[in-house]
Amino acid sequence: MRFEFTAEETDFRNQISAFLDDVLPDNWGGSSGLSDDDSWAMDQKFRKELVKRGWLVMSWPKEYGGADSSPMMNTIFADEMAYRRAPGLDGFGTRMLGPTLMAFGNDEQQTKHLGAIARGEVQWCQGYSEPNSGSDLASIQTRAAIDGDDFVVNGAKIWTSMGHRADMMFMLVRTNPEEPLHAGISLLLVDMKSPGIEVNPIVNMADVHHFNQVIFDNVRVPKENLVGDLNDGWRVGMTILNHERSGIEFAAGARAAIEELVAYITDDDSPASQAKSDPNVRIKLAELSTEVEAARLLCYDVTWRHSQGLEPSFEASMSKVAGTEIYQKVLDYGLEILGMYGGLIAGSPQAELQGRFLKMRMLSTATTIFSGTNEIQKNIIAQRGLGLPRQRRVKATS
Amino acid sequence: MDFGLTETQELIRNSAREFLADRSDTSVARAVANGDSEALASLWKDVIELGWPALTISEEHGGAGLTFGDLAVLLEELGASLAPTPIVESALTSRIIERFASESLKADLLPQAASGDILITPAIIEKDVSWEATNATVAATKTSNGLVVTGEKRFVGFADQATHALTLVRTDDGEPALVVIPIWKSGEVEQTPLDHVSGIPVSSITFNEIEVPEANIVATGEEAIKATEELVAAGGVARAAQMAGLGRAVLDATVEYTANREQFGQAVGSFQAVQHHLAEMAIASKQVNHLVHSAAWSFSQEGYSKERAAQAKIAASEKISALCWTAHQCHGAIGFTWEHDMHLYTRRALAWKTDYGDSSFHKSKLANAMGL
Repeated sequence: MRFEFTAEETDFRNQISAFLDDVLPDNWGGSSGLSDDDSWAMDQKFRKELVKRGWLVMSWPKEYGGADSSPMMNTIFADEMAYRRAPGLDGFGTRMLGPTLMAFGNDEQQTKHLGAIARGEVQWCQGYSEPNSGSDLASIQTRAAIDGDDFVVNGAKIWTSMGHRADMMFMLVRTNPEEPLHAGISLLLVDMKSPGIEVNPIVNMADVHHFNQVIFDNVRVPKENLVGDLNDGWRVGMTILNHERSGIEFAAGARAAIEELVAYITDDDSPASQAKSDPNVRIKLAELSTEVEAARLLCYDVTWRHSQGLEPSFEASMSKVAGTEIYQKVLDYGLEILGMYGGLIAGSPQAELQGRFLKMRMLSTATTIFSGTNEIQKNIIAQRGLGLPRQRRVKATS
Repeated sequence: MDFGLTETQELIRNSAREFLADRSDTSVARAVANGDSEALASLWKDVIELGWPALTISEEHGGAGLTFGDLAVLLEELGASLAPTPIVESALTSRIIERFASESLKADLLPQAASGDILITPAIIEKDVSWEATNATVAATKTSNGLVVTGEKRFVGFADQATHALTLVRTDDGEPALVVIPIWKSGEVEQTPLDHVSGIPVSSITFNEIEVPEANIVATGEEAIKATEELVAAGGVARAAQMAGLGRAVLDATVEYTANREQFGQAVGSFQAVQHHLAEMAIASKQVNHLVHSAAWSFSQEGYSKERAAQAKIAASEKISALCWTAHQCHGAIGFTWEHDMHLYTRRALAWKTDYGDSSFHKSKLANAMGL
């Protein structure tokens, strides 16, 4: 039982903070107020800065160009970056594909891709969800048939974040249509410039182009781009995914939002300055900050378990549920404090706090849905964590 | 960060579990709730033998010198078993005396508290049931030897078993004073036992011009306020620790029930609607546990974190009582019966929810700490 960070950890947090003070524009409130192009430009610029400091892949083993940093350091890094809404991170390459290739990729694949990810030179996207396969991911239908030295891919992937910026995609495909669900799936690496790939934008409810639908029409993928064994893609593609995920981003975002709201109402020039002495506001902000701390401790528990070699499983689901729910609640309350100003779009005249609470609340709608909906996470908690029986599967799709 | 328990804490937890399973199952809680003072006294005697009242008292004063974090681990087990025994009361008063009283008063009281020869219970709140230290009105007139105290304190736990009360009074010059008052003297201290949802003895006590020697004054003025605030903060964390244990016990019982109760040809716990209730209970339980450990750990350091203390009690008060109501829902009709144990937990949670400050009280404290 020790609830403080070591001197080394605190020092690292301060280094990140000083770096961000140095490189972030004045009055930075996150990318959510920027255009899609500006946001992408910021990501690229920042990624280079992170590479320069050795932080982009610091969690990786040294042999792959990382610093072999501890799980606690990694979570502190993610915490501080999210708290400042800093751009430049590359979750797909550094946190998903990288560790997957280290575990399952062959030497050639590792040599070809890991270095490029570590240098921030390549943008990856993830091709998992399909129009008919959301929470029931094992039901994917995108087909990869073997033809000579290639796979020929046909089908569609959806909710592909950064699909319109990506150089490469790692994707789950069905390589054996005779086998339903988890069996018969493989993981492929696909060049997004391959003939037959069409990327169609999907603008989200926050008016941001982040998602895409990616259509595959007889796309030829060389056989050497198969990761792991044929038909073993479920294990290859899913093992690493939730492994190290603390979910700290949501608690960090909520913590930042609460601090902004406190600063906002304690500023005498703010239109909401009278809220400072409103007992209802005091009580509500105290309640929310308690919830944020409760969510944050779950994240650090996941990290601590990881550092002890205890496999976090349902604990990561707990932190995801708690973090995303409190993140949305804090943003909801921010809009309430902003009152009529809460309805002003980022960039509008007279917008308060750059109109970002509205944008962030809209964007945060996705957080309780993506990476396994919170309902699915609760099933995981009940079944893996509490040992309750699974409900019988209603329908096996093929 | 270290979310694990120390070796000492593991030892405390395991031995407490073993003892309580054997010695204080829910039948003891039921007996005490029904006024069985014999059961209460006999459990207390065994608890003294285990050395639990001495746990956090310094070795210098006859205790085991363990930390508040260690105490929290024990309190979780006491909460989970609903053991009706005054460890919170004894640990809190010992802590405040150890940290604020004169050397001679410490040397006088603490070894006796450690050995269980005396039991000092906190008597802080009055008719307005405010935990705000500055609200005390019980009058203390200064004399040449000390104070003469007159007035009523309400909701005093284990007053019948206690030998002393640690009480906040206001002297005739308007200054607060925290004093230790022997409460066994008949006539000068009048007890009104209350019929309380906790199922634990709770009384209001009235002091009728009782003389308190100057040596029994623990702190005065600002120090008395500071000491009382620490007592309330630590009390909140202590209750939160008990509630964390209680919540875990209720969660375990609800998992057990829903995994075995069958309807529609399968366990009701296989239905998502039920699983989601249980998942939310599990999250709440873990969160309260972490917040309690974080706060309790801070009490083991120099000073303590007011923020963490408030957060622990806010979360425990709100989440554990909600968890109990959800547990009733998951148990269906059987959990609504007097015969089923579930309501014993719910009653205790309801009592602890407000003890040492309810969530509104602590939210206000936390808002202050946040600069609001």
